[in-house]
Amino acid sequence: MADIQLTGVSKIYGGNVTAVDSIDLEIRDGEFMVLLGPSGCGKSTTLRMISGLEEISGGELRIGGRLMNDVDPADRDLAIVFQNYALYPHMTVGSNLAFGLKLRKVPKPEIEARIRRTADMLGIGELLHRKPRELSGGQQQRVAVGRALVREPVAFLLDEPLSNLDAKLRAAMRTELIKLHHELGTTIVHVTHDQVEAMTMGERICIMRNGKIVQLGAPLEVYRNPVDTFVAGFLASPPMNLIDARLSEAGATVELGAEVSLAIPEGHRAALASHHNKAVVFGIRPEDIYAEPMDGAMAELDVTVVALEALGPETVLISRLPGGKEIATRMGRNFHARVGSAQRLYVDMNAMHAFNPDGGRAIAMLRA
Amino acid sequence: MAHAATALARRDRRFGLMLSAPGLAVLLAVVAFPLVFIIFTSFYDYTLLNPTHDTFNGIDNYREALDDAYLPAAIWTTLKFVAASVIIEFIIGMTVALALNSITRFKDFYYLILLAPLLVNPVVVGLLWRMLLHTELGIVNYLLNSFGLPSVNWLGDADTAFWTVVMVDIWHQVSFMAILLLAGLASLPREPYEAARMDGASALSCFIHITLPLMRPVIIVAVLLRLIFALKTFDIIFIMTKGGPGTATDLVSYFIYRAAFFGLDIGRAAAMSVALLVFVIALTTYLYRYMRSLR
Repeated sequence: MADIQLTGVSKIYGGNVTAVDSIDLEIRDGEFMVLLGPSGCGKSTTLRMISGLEEISGGELRIGGRLMNDVDPADRDLAIVFQNYALYPHMTVGSNLAFGLKLRKVPKPEIEARIRRTADMLGIGELLHRKPRELSGGQQQRVAVGRALVREPVAFLLDEPLSNLDAKLRAAMRTELIKLHHELGTTIVHVTHDQVEAMTMGERICIMRNGKIVQLGAPLEVYRNPVDTFVAGFLASPPMNLIDARLSEAGATVELGAEVSLAIPEGHRAALASHHNKAVVFGIRPEDIYAEPMDGAMAELDVTVVALEALGPETVLISRLPGGKEIATRMGRNFHARVGSAQRLYVDMNAMHAFNPDGGRAIAMLRA
Repeated sequence: MAHAATALARRDRRFGLMLSAPGLAVLLAVVAFPLVFIIFTSFYDYTLLNPTHDTFNGIDNYREALDDAYLPAAIWTTLKFVAASVIIEFIIGMTVALALNSITRFKDFYYLILLAPLLVNPVVVGLLWRMLLHTELGIVNYLLNSFGLPSVNWLGDADTAFWTVVMVDIWHQVSFMAILLLAGLASLPREPYEAARMDGASALSCFIHITLPLMRPVIIVAVLLRLIFALKTFDIIFIMTKGGPGTATDLVSYFIYRAAFFGLDIGRAAAMSVALLVFVIALTTYLYRYMRSLR
């Protein structure tokens, strides 16, 4: 059993630079956990502290209930896949896979059996006699994953393993890692700055910023209810539109500048009661704005077209509000508009978000 | 278009040739000319008593040199000297490089100390150590005595003198090895070591299975360079022992020097020099190929 438990774990460099600031995180046995955040948020450091490659400055790390703070990385029974693969350049693929097992004095026939099994699983059987420099990036990636698999550790730690691959290969490896997790059922901690990876791979995602955990939850839960403007603006592409606004005195409308006023549905008014006549940050996802009126509480929004990004399956419309603020909208693939022309959009106000302008915390709302 | 490109290339080549001409001229004068002259002379009966190329005597100089009863001893001494100094320098150099590679503070200071012997002229090194190791007046024996140990006849005793010369050569040259190896260590990738730590490798198995194989190219270069330099060692022998006592430190280069300037037989000395050059080239080629094949 290998649940991984971090209690008040910190990493402080040189006595004053705090990379990870007293985080609490419980990764369940068999879970696929994604640590997501921008560069420098402390996600990699957290992973490296779990692995033991980085010392823990404060707090407790338990794996399978056992305190691991001072346990040697080799004795934690974890395997790590590095961003740049970190294969042993002078060894063949087979030796790369066997190295860890040999050091652990696994009997030779078993080493061979495990290598064959792993190689079959990853389709690298043909490559066992090659050196890493004779492999493509994708093949090296597979070998790196294989080197972790063959060890049969209690948990896998993946440190941005897909970020050096091209887009197509990355998507394929993503699917493959998800499949592997289903087959093996081993705990995986995956560090990434790519929100698509996080959304698609994680059973839960842990969003970090400035060494702290901002939000922890299932991907769709985090997508639906971001706890603050940072998460709202980080997840999904294009991310949520965030617009400085003001609630009306009665709390019936939200005013985006002097000329735009959107009616707030009955269901959300209670949640916003304490913010009447105050500044808020109004949030709306690009996918909750339409070119045609739909059922529900639709509010009209008149904008000027700034740019169209035709992606194929969809077209992203960038437009300007009367106040000058630009917003993104996801439109159908057949949407057309002339740059500079006026456009009427329809906002699904049931999907609206509101945040405190000060600190960016979300104002909780009831959702169907 | 193609025509323009070739014209441009030709002009580039001419310009490059023009820039390198002075350097090439100097090399021609100080390297190529003496080399050709030596090879030429090695086929003549050319002595300091009769310094002319009047008498061509074919390979007689070479035959004479090979028949010299003292040459095998000089070769053997040289091989012993080269093996001892290069092996010990490699071991010390690697140890120092590993130690320096793992520290972060005062690195520049240690570099400075390491570099100091390399900056000293070999003749100065020889004189320095001759004084330090002087049997009666040297500080080394003084210190030995003050600890109650007997004096050592560092350069006067046949057995000791060989190792004394080896020791001085190591003192002078080991930093070269250490600095080359350190540069190699510093450029090794960090990631395989982290992977190895996760794989459960101890410091020793990291060294054997990762550091040594990854360092192979640097080690080859460092050892080869030292090998070539050591084979040609002359200055410290000339200053410290003059090949003695007896022939205990009579290295080939000093042996050749004696043939030329005591025996006055330039022709024979030239023949031996050419033979030594051929030997060094053959040895380094062989060792280079051999070490490259060990992968």
